[in-house]
Amino acid sequence: MSDLADTAPAVPSPILAEPRPRVAAALADDAQLVAACRRGEARAMEMLYHQYKRRVFGMAHRIVGASDAEEVAQEVFVRVFRALDKFRGDSALSTWIYRLTVNAALSHLAKRGRRQEVSDETLGEMPAPPAVERDSGLAARIEAALGQLPAGYRAILVLHDVEGLSHEECAAILECRVGTCKSQLHKARARMRELLTPSIGART
Amino acid sequence: MSCERIQEKLTAYLDGELAGQDGSVVRGHLRECATCRQAASDEAALRDGLRSLPPVDPPPSLWAGVQAQLAAAEVADAKRPAWRRALARWAPSAPRFAAGALVAAAAIAVLWWRTQRAPDDAPGPDRAIATPAPAPAPAPVPEPGPPPPRGDITAELAAEPARQTEAYGDAAEELLALATEVRGTWAAEQQTAFDARLSELRGQIDRAPEGRPRQKAWRELIRYLQGAIVRDEIALAGGVP
Repeated sequence: MSDLADTAPAVPSPILAEPRPRVAAALADDAQLVAACRRGEARAMEMLYHQYKRRVFGMAHRIVGASDAEEVAQEVFVRVFRALDKFRGDSALSTWIYRLTVNAALSHLAKRGRRQEVSDETLGEMPAPPAVERDSGLAARIEAALGQLPAGYRAILVLHDVEGLSHEECAAILECRVGTCKSQLHKARARMRELLTPSIGART
Repeated sequence: MSCERIQEKLTAYLDGELAGQDGSVVRGHLRECATCRQAASDEAALRDGLRSLPPVDPPPSLWAGVQAQLAAAEVADAKRPAWRRALARWAPSAPRFAAGALVAAAAIAVLWWRTQRAPDDAPGPDRAIATPAPAPAPAPVPEPGPPPPRGDITAELAAEPARQTEAYGDAAEELLALATEVRGTWAAEQQTAFDARLSELRGQIDRAPEGRPRQKAWRELIRYLQGAIVRDEIALAGGVP
């Protein structure tokens, strides 16, 4: 047995979804924060901004590119604060904000007629990853490949793989079925593998 | 199972979503197939790479930009006439309303067309004799006198002016409610002048005969109320009172 184990090829093992602290507690916090923001409390508004700024800006950055990310993120936050009255709490606040972000980013691309690509200049403007990044070579290649994907694939990869959301959450944000979400993720990863070939795993 | 089928399942397998035998089948195939093993290894590296992408910090100017845009939007709100804000509250249901209105308009148009066509379509020898030489008649004209074959549409059209008057009344009621809200903030003499003008305009409405004259009187009241509310809002926004 042990011989067999020694000679057997290493098979990539599945990684179970990491536990994601969320739901009930988050919903209660969201409700308080939303109520305070609706009353126009400046501190609450700033807190909400800081809580979501990286997620909103990160999504916008990876979908529309660095040059337009600030414009899109600003539009998203203005919409969030202006439309908080319409937020009914049916879903988590984060789901609602992600949905606004994805919609704003995709419609921004549509307006600019740039559904397919982010230009090389735009990629060049992307800030360098922080020094703590272990494999900056791979990260840079992944960011560059992301920029070449169709916008819809970019959205699902960022939501599921970068932000770590579940298929159910992604489906709620993208307003599609869970099955559609899974098949889109599969296609998006396959396209990324093609773009990153040969040998994604080769460390630099 | 073919490589193609296995590769379709790789995403779910690597994300831990394949339970029991399904997972075992994929694992067994991967032990024997170097191509699929490479694909799985690549996808796992890609997934891990995506998960560990560093967060992107927004520039500090973002929050300032959001605040500035919010402030601008609020000032614009304050300067916008109350009746337009009231209208904006209806905006979310506007597409549904428009679709309903379109369907209703189409239905009325079809009914009207059939009403007008009915006499022409009626077959019969008498009619053929009565109109031996088909004159190049223009579009059919509704005939006065006896009621048309379908009376319901006529009644509906006859009721239209009354419905319009009612709509003016509803709009005026809403504006009056808004004006009453802001009236409390005015000086006593402004309030008196407002009340006097309001009562005068209401008298005009009561005295005006049904139909267009009454609608005109309603429009005058609506314009006066809009003006009063707008002046109040501009004064509140720091503009010319």
